[in-house]
Order: sequence, then C-alpha cells, then structure tokens
Amino acid sequence: MKFIADIFDKSRPLFEKDGKLAKWHPLFEATESFFFIPGLTTRADAHVRDSLDVKRFMSFVILALIPPFLFGLYNAGYQSNLATGASLELLPVILKGILIVLPLVIVSYGVGFLWEILFAVIRKHPISEGFLVTGLLFPLTLPPTMPLWQAAVGISFGVVIGKEVFGGTGRNILNPALTGRAFLFFAYPAKMSGDTVWAVVDGAKTGAVDAFSGATPLAIAGLVNIQEKIEAVLQAADYPFVKLLLGLYPGSIGATSALLCFAGAAVLVVVGIASYRVIVGGVLGVLATGYLLNFFAADTSSAWLSLNPFYHLVMGGFAFGIAYMATDPVTAPGMEKAKWVYGFFIGMLTVLIRVFNPAYPEGIMLAILFMNLFSPLLDHIEIRLKIKKRVINV
Amino acid sequence: MISIHSKKGFDLPITGSPLPETSSRETPAFVALLPEKMPFVKPRLKIKEGHQVQVGSVIFEDKRNPAIQFLSPGGGMVQEIAFGPRRVIKKVVIKLDAEEGRVAFSRFTDSQLEDASRASLVEAILKGGLWCLFRELPFGDIPDPETAPPSIIITLDSREPFQPHPAVYLEGKEDLLAAGMKILEKLSAAVHVSIHKESDMPTGLSDGLVTHRVSGPYPAGDGGVLLYRTKKAPEENRAWCIRGQDLLLLAELIKTGRYPVERTVALGGSLAREQLHVSTRLGAPLPYIAGEDTGNPPRSRYIVGGIFRGYTAEKDSFLDLYATSLTILPEGDKKELFGFARPGLDKPTRSRTFLSSLSKAPFTVDCGLHGEQRACINCGYCDDVCAVDILPQFALKSVLADEVEESLAHGLLDCVSCGLCTFVCPSKIDICAVLKGAKADYYEEIR
Repeated sequence: MKFIADIFDKSRPLFEKDGKLAKWHPLFEATESFFFIPGLTTRADAHVRDSLDVKRFMSFVILALIPPFLFGLYNAGYQSNLATGASLELLPVILKGILIVLPLVIVSYGVGFLWEILFAVIRKHPISEGFLVTGLLFPLTLPPTMPLWQAAVGISFGVVIGKEVFGGTGRNILNPALTGRAFLFFAYPAKMSGDTVWAVVDGAKTGAVDAFSGATPLAIAGLVNIQEKIEAVLQAADYPFVKLLLGLYPGSIGATSALLCFAGAAVLVVVGIASYRVIVGGVLGVLATGYLLNFFAADTSSAWLSLNPFYHLVMGGFAFGIAYMATDPVTAPGMEKAKWVYGFFIGMLTVLIRVFNPAYPEGIMLAILFMNLFSPLLDHIEIRLKIKKRVINV
Repeated sequence: MISIHSKKGFDLPITGSPLPETSSRETPAFVALLPEKMPFVKPRLKIKEGHQVQVGSVIFEDKRNPAIQFLSPGGGMVQEIAFGPRRVIKKVVIKLDAEEGRVAFSRFTDSQLEDASRASLVEAILKGGLWCLFRELPFGDIPDPETAPPSIIITLDSREPFQPHPAVYLEGKEDLLAAGMKILEKLSAAVHVSIHKESDMPTGLSDGLVTHRVSGPYPAGDGGVLLYRTKKAPEENRAWCIRGQDLLLLAELIKTGRYPVERTVALGGSLAREQLHVSTRLGAPLPYIAGEDTGNPPRSRYIVGGIFRGYTAEKDSFLDLYATSLTILPEGDKKELFGFARPGLDKPTRSRTFLSSLSKAPFTVDCGLHGEQRACINCGYCDDVCAVDILPQFALKSVLADEVEESLAHGLLDCVSCGLCTFVCPSKIDICAVLKGAKADYYEEIR
C-alpha cells in the first residue's frame, strides 16, 4: 500500500504546474484518485462532509450493472452457440460470450477514455467518473455482432457530441451512451436491426444456421397479422412470457433480462442512487398506455393494440433503459414531480413507438432521448409553480 | 403554543457530544475582541495599544452607525491590536488586571422595566454595547435601532453539533429569560420563542414563555426556518433574531447595569480533551477553553460556531462575541486506498451507500472532503435536506450564471446557511458558501 503511495508521490512533481508532464495532470489525477481518496480537507463552511462522492455514486451504478452484464455475456454466447449448433454447456457458452462481449467493452472503455483524456487535458478539467458508467452501458445496448470499429465510432460520437462538447459530465443534455447508440442506429442500420444481428454466427455447422431464427421478440411481434394474438405467436416462436422476463433470447447484449434489470433498479433505488419516481413512472406509463390501447383494440386493428401491457415491460430494452438510462440524474429532471412525468412519458412513448411506428421495432431509446430534451422544460414548469407559492423575499 | 414541523434537514449523529454538565475555568490572563468577526461592521477603534480599559469601556464603534458600540469584555491594559490583510482588525487583546474596573450602566428594576419606553431601552442597550446581539434577517446584519421589526425570534436551541444545551445555560436563569422577554416585548409587537421538541429544558422554565415548539431534524430550530414556516407576507421578512444565551446577556445588562462577561461554551469533538460545557468569559482564549496548550492536539482543527456553520479558528485565537461553541476535530487529511470501494462500516454519511447507514451508532467525523470536486450531477441530495426549499442545485446554477433575479425568486434570501447542502453534495461543491456569498453581494448592492 505504502509503495503505491510512494509511486504517486514520486511522480507527482512531473505532473505539477512546472513539471515536464504538467499537461497530463488530469490523467495523473484520475489515476491517483482511482487508488486513493486524496486527503483533501474542507476550506469553507460545513467543515464536515458526507463520505459519499461521485466515484462511489457511479460505482454503485456499475455494481448494479454487473448482473445484466454477466447475463448478457452468457446470453450472447448461448445465442451464438445455439445458432451454430455448438455446445450449450455452461463453460463453452461463457467462453464464447467472453469472446463476443469483452472486445466490445474494451473498445468502448478504451476509445471513450481516450476522448475523455483528450478533452480533460485540453479543456483542463478533471476526468469525471461519469464515463465509467457510460463506457459499460454503451456496449450493453449493442447487438453482439456489432463490428468493433463501429462500436468505436459510436462511443466516440456519444462521448464527444453527447457530452464533451457541452462541457463534460454534469453539463450534457442527452444520455451519452444512448446518443452513441442512436448514432449507430441511424448511421449503420443494417448492423443495428434486422434478424441477423442478434447472434454471432461463425464457423457454423451446415444446417444449424437455417434452423435458428435470430429474430427478437419485438421483431416477431411486429410481423403479427391482424386478428392474430401477439402473445400466441410469441408462444409459438418459443418466447413465452417467463422466457421474456428471464431474458434468454436474442437481443441487445445487456438488455434482454428484464428481471435482472428490474433487480438492478431496485438496488439503485434502495441505496438512493436512482430515483424511484422515474422508474415507477415509466412502468406506470407503459401499463397505462398499454391498457388504454387495449381499450381501442378491435378485430380489424393491429395486433399490437390488444397486447397485454405487461409484455411491453419484458420485451426489448425497456427494462434496461428505464433502470439505467432514464435514471441518469444529469439528463433526468431534478424536480420530484417532473421526474414522475418524465418517467411516465418515457413509458408511454416507448409503447406508442412500438405500436404505431413500424419503422422502429424498439422505442425506448428514442423515448429516453426525446424526454432528455424535455427534462429542462419539465423542471422549469415545476420550479415556476413552486416559486409562485413562496412568500417573496427580496 | 404553536407546533411547527420542518420535515427536511438532517441530524448527523456524531461522537464527542458535550455532556450536560458545566465546568468553570479560572479567569484567563487575556481576553480579546475580534472586530473581524462582526458581520458587515466597519470598525473605528476608540483605543490604542497601552490604554487602560474597564469592563464596558468602548473599544470600537461601527462607522456606519457610531451608536453601535463594542465594549471591552475585560478590565486591564490593551496589550495588542493585531491587523490582518488589507488592515482588517483581527483582534484587540486586553491583559486583565487582578482587580478589574467596571463601567456602570443604567439599570432598570422590574417596575421601571414595566413602564420603560422603547426609546429608553434601545438607548440602554446601545450604551451597554449589546445591540449587536440582535441580527436582522435575512442578511444577519445588526439592525437599525430606529426601525421596529415585524417580530423578534428567540431561538433557544439550533441543535447544530455542537451548541450549548438550553438545559445547561438556562439553569437557574429562568428569571433572566423572563426579564429578557419583557425587554423584547417593548422593542417589537411580536416576540416568538422557539424551542425544539427534543431539547432538554430546565425544569423551572414556565411553559407560557414558549410560543413555538418546533420538531424535525437540524436546522429546524433555526430562527430563519421558523420564519419561513410561519410567514404569511413579505413584510415579515425583516424579523430580528436573538439566541437564548444572548438574550440572557441583554437581560443581565438591563437588570444589573453591568456589562455581562459570562459565556457558556459547548466544548466538543472527538479530539477535545473533555466534552462538556465550559463556563468562561466573553473573549477568552480558545486553548484555555479547550484546556490545551496552543497548537495542540496536532493535526486537529478548532471550529468555532458548530461543524456546519462555524469557522476555522487559529489555535491561538479567542472566542468572538457571538461564539458559544468550540469543536475540535481531526483534519482528516489522510489518503485512503481504494476508498470508494470500501464497505464503510464507520463512514459518516446521509446516503445509504455505506454499511454504516445500517447502524445507529454515532460517527467519528473529521474535516476531510472525502472526495474531489466535480461538476454538479443534479442528484438532488441538496434539495432533500434544504429546510427552506430553495432548491440549492438550481439556485446555485442561477447564482453562477449571474441570474440574480432568478436566484432571488428561488428564495435565496430565505437561506439560513445551515451548510447541509454542502455537507451532502457528492460532487463536493461548496454550495452553501456560494449562496452565502451571493447573498452578501446582493446586500452590498441594495443597502
């Protein structure tokens, strides 16, 4: 322990004001603060401070992301082996999953950090811990077949345009990870949607590939004919509700297991990192919209209208998005009632996009980005209402 | 009695709380006045080094209103007048004589007090040098004696760690408190006395004195919070505040005609040699209150005025006129390996991200920042603890953007500077200091 401290103490002069590497001070600082909470003391009042800092705050999000991440790793391997007819036993599946997912995560962190460091050095601001979360969130929203160079382009766009041009973590208006994903979605649609991107197929035994359908439940549901029931079609395609909940089906790497995502959300709410208002609001938005559409369902209308709203909660990326993306405090509103509205509209828009916009099988990404834009307005409205009630003091 | 509940806030349970018993110290060799610590006052000295003074001699006056005077807390020779940067007068040190002379002031018997006019009382308080104990909301300046306040709020216990327990400093002085109330009733139409529901009160205190019983976490006991919870119209904003112990000084001056010099100080903190109440003199040296040699213990911090609102005092400094609290805490400047990933069984926190949040045991706190400053991530923790609902995260941003109107609309002036927003901030932003600075700047502009 002492020797680590010594390394930092010895190299510190190099990075200080007149040192040779003074430019790279943010990098030094970030590295050091990863190992040590620096012994800074309070200067102004409130002599005593809470032990919680941003690093711990973000670490908890990462902690809550670990279960979906590990499951996503397993699932990516499983779907790949299923498609190629390889062994479905635990070990080969996990090895395969590691081969698929780890490069994406490494590229995401590596390229993203490069941009972070570049901006921190040029703009002379500390490297924020916010990226630790972005760097893991981003690959988990991608299909497992994503080419690495495209992932690199995506995270670059997310970090630079989604965050750094606004001044870095805390000043961005859009969720950086989702901004990156949205960029890929529109720039390389062939690699972001369709039936072939959700499982890595390489070195397949002949025949096995043809038998495997890589379609996601949402894609299947999108093709259901009028007068058929989506629930029944999904059942027939071997996607019963429980399977959708547990998540062993093709989809974005980390987003398939609604159960683990909701569990992660519960952890974040219990420790007070994520706002339950956004999450509960989102779930209510999905259910309310779903039931409302049920109300309008007729024999001749789209099968989507009559879908049991609970399917919306477990299909696709809604659970992942509402648990980890919508609750990003920077891009969500800060006011309590505004958070309810924000969550509710995310849920509602997700369902509306799925049901009424056949061009996009999934709606959560656009719903969150859209509501990100509205969160300042929601805050503004609630603040005005609140201020009106105050006794003026000038 | 009106019950008021203030829901937001936070009680930080910490070790080193002063016991409810009083220890008396012998008379110190020196006492001092600290003009630097008087809010907004522009001091004009009336004495020079080497002058003889008595208890109650004028040491300096406020250039803005020379009627507001600051008197000597001791009799003896002016030993030293110390200046700081930009000629700010840091301290006026008086070497005490064995036999201290005293200036006599006009005194009021009970019946005289009944019939006294407002003007005569104001004059007596001004002459007696204690007008500065009144503080006018929202800026905390010393009020203009000519104006009549909408109300005067007496706060008996702010419950900030650590301030003297009312049960200790009021013990045996219930009569003085009642006399003080009489004086205030002459000064203002409305006098509010607030105590906290959980405060220990001396048994002799009659219930009729108290007008408001507040409940809720710190800073529920603060006068500004009481005003925020009770006010109905903007005219009530300029209320005056006075703390219970200061009111006792005022009453003593009026009743006895002597300048009071006694102070009960709460001595606490994990590094204090003893944790109790110290009965001492106004302006006593801090090490003497702490029972330490100067500079001890090493790597410790002397905090005068509570851990949230107080200031760091040099270890050879003295008690300022308003100070009723000395807390000695470790500096907390040690690095911690992988601190962000530790379970944190003993880490002081309001959040639920450390295992310590599962236990009710008091924390041992230090003055460490426990992290580094980052940009605001809009987590809203500051709003969770803001007792006057000014939405600190938004008010902070409007202040930083120079949107004065906007920050005022948020209720910047209702801010009681409780320091909790700064305490909870995971980005380690000095929110309270920024808001306080903005408030002071605004005051400079309008007055």
